[in-house]
Amino acid sequence: MDSSATSATLTNRTARAFCLTSAGWMVMATLMGLAGATELIAPDLSHNIGWLVFGRVRPIHVNLVLFGFVTPGLLASAFYFLPRLLQTEIYSERLGLITVWLWNITLLAAVISLASGFSQGREYAELIWPVDLLVVACFGLVCYNLFMTVKRRREPLLYVSVWYVCAAVILTSVTYCIGNVIWQPNSGALVGIPDAIILWFYGHNIFGLLLTPLAIAVAYYVIPTAIRSPLYSHTLSLIGFWSLLVVYTHIGTHHLLQVPVPTWLKVIAIVDSIAMVIPVMVFLINIWYTAKGKLGEIHADIGAKFVFTGTIMYFFVSIQGSIMALPQVQRVTHFNNWVVGHAHIGVLGFAAMIALGGLYFIIPRITGRPLYSRFLADLQYWLVLIGVVGFTVVLTTVGLIQGNAWLNGETVYRVLPEIHLYYVLRASLGFLIFSSAIIGFYNIIRSLLSQSGAKA
Amino acid sequence: MTLKMTPKAVIIGSLAILATITFLMVYWPYATRDETPSNIFRFRSPEEAAGRDIYIANGCVYCHSQSIRTIDWGHGAERIAQAGDYVGDRPILLGSERTGVDLSQEGGEHPDDWHIAHFVNPRYTRPNSIMPLFAFLGEKNLHTLTRYVQGLGFKEADHRMQRQLYWKQEAIKAYESGPVANVKWLADHVPAGWRQVPNPYPTTEAGLARGHMIYQQFCLGCHGPIGDGMGPAQPYLYPPPLNFTILHGREISGGILYYQIMNGITGTAMPYFKRELESQKIWEVGNYVAVYFINQSDANQEPRGIDSSWEP
Repeated sequence: MDSSATSATLTNRTARAFCLTSAGWMVMATLMGLAGATELIAPDLSHNIGWLVFGRVRPIHVNLVLFGFVTPGLLASAFYFLPRLLQTEIYSERLGLITVWLWNITLLAAVISLASGFSQGREYAELIWPVDLLVVACFGLVCYNLFMTVKRRREPLLYVSVWYVCAAVILTSVTYCIGNVIWQPNSGALVGIPDAIILWFYGHNIFGLLLTPLAIAVAYYVIPTAIRSPLYSHTLSLIGFWSLLVVYTHIGTHHLLQVPVPTWLKVIAIVDSIAMVIPVMVFLINIWYTAKGKLGEIHADIGAKFVFTGTIMYFFVSIQGSIMALPQVQRVTHFNNWVVGHAHIGVLGFAAMIALGGLYFIIPRITGRPLYSRFLADLQYWLVLIGVVGFTVVLTTVGLIQGNAWLNGETVYRVLPEIHLYYVLRASLGFLIFSSAIIGFYNIIRSLLSQSGAKA
Repeated sequence: MTLKMTPKAVIIGSLAILATITFLMVYWPYATRDETPSNIFRFRSPEEAAGRDIYIANGCVYCHSQSIRTIDWGHGAERIAQAGDYVGDRPILLGSERTGVDLSQEGGEHPDDWHIAHFVNPRYTRPNSIMPLFAFLGEKNLHTLTRYVQGLGFKEADHRMQRQLYWKQEAIKAYESGPVANVKWLADHVPAGWRQVPNPYPTTEAGLARGHMIYQQFCLGCHGPIGDGMGPAQPYLYPPPLNFTILHGREISGGILYYQIMNGITGTAMPYFKRELESQKIWEVGNYVAVYFINQSDANQEPRGIDSSWEP
């Protein structure tokens, strides 16, 4: 699928710019996560510094991870592989660079507004209306650039990665507007229970229609390319793509099973959450069968190693997610750190792992040199892996302590001393991930910008 | 498979799926929504609404849910959330995590001065709290925020607030009539049976150590480390926390201490602990206060009936 004739003439300027954006904001995003985790063990840390209180740090962390680190990381790969899969150039690298600049301005505006207490108070949809417009403009520009690239392709057949990227950017442009109730500039919200329904529809679509399809697109590109083998099954690609769009969009209400929303809505959400096994396993079978017998080649390429690990995390987080949608399970897991653990396996273990893998896969191919340091990339791999597995163990344990204690009639306050130690462990693991972000940022800057690469 | 994945098929197909499902999963519940207010609903005053904006700006929703479930035991659990409770909320603030308590029915649980002390430093009133300091909001904003919190629960909150305000006046009157009258007023409100109930827990070293631990986690912020009512919350509270060291020789039985800890003294910053602490913990923190601060204990006196088998 790779044509060296076109590769040589491609500048990859947009892909490079998204690489730097992702690596840079990963540092800030994980620092905010670490700050929040530290405040939970040392609550006086924010000592009356308004922009540092947990309630402001947390949405900055979440928004930066989603829109600053992971999405740009995955888009960097998309801007790299689309021209290669379509046998053409990006429609406009200049427009691509403008998009990246606007993207960074948007992130800066998001950080400043949230830190100053301008928030619409809805999880994943906190950003105020002017920043919402900037986000939509960014996605709109990406859509335009990519669709025009597709239009001017010289390869008639669209590879599965192209489907996923196109669907992700157009559907997110739409669900972002819906979820942020963009026609209500002042509040960005509906009233009462319908607001919760629309919010979680959107909140889940950020994973289901943005991070997941982009990450799957990268995996579908990186794994076959790394092992120089065709994809196992085109039929499975088709089933996986359409079933993901149909099933994932139904399940947002599983966040509201213990809330007075209509029962039929809960039933659909639970049934489709279980049905998520179909798109997940179809994709995983396809990618794992493609890789069958060639794990050595995957292991040899640090980018592919990240990506393949991400697919394993996708398995865990998805099966866990299906189980968590069961009402009997939620009696214990809802409202506590179990869910935070789940979110970290999904976003850090799956989507961010694949985003980082994409970066490490494309950077040597963009520069024509090996990475500045394969060792540092491996170090980052292990720090992230230990961090995310550690998070899973620690936060799941905390969740079980909290959930069972509450069911047993203990108050939230009584349980705080019981979980303190686990919060210390969580912050320590957060420090590992923050360290890995600095290492990765340094490695990526040196790989992309310095003239001399390390000798292989 | 003959489905041809052209750009049009991908983009139009995806958008068609999204439109269909948005109609079914978002628009349909919206179109069929029930906007009937629940029996406790009322609209918020402008000041309460302003307080809600402060709540949103500072991300209180990330740690405090407003969503009481059928399986909940904590405070507010007497009133399970109904859709009609939220018909005035834009945005709705259900929350997704309980790092702190649920606040659906917080209004009137405490008097205003407790909340101010708590916002200035949450550990003043709740030593184990991991909530950040909010003194930076300034006195005016803290009062506005308090109005919002005191309205959570709507009509039920209003009912509880009236009770707080009534008993606050009574408690201030008693406090201002001097220590002797105040202590008598406090003790007289304990039902007779409770005043005379034999204290069943001996003041063993282990029991006092357990009481000490409870005291540090629940009482220290107001009553202070030496029980003189000069904890860090004291400057914010009126009437101020009780000074235990003046109680010697005033016939304060274990039963009186137990009852006051269990039920609290509505109108003052003294909360009830009957949701938080089980029987043994209440007796033993009472014994700790009696032995160390009052220097007078009726623990384990005759008649004791048949000694329980673990008694020393």
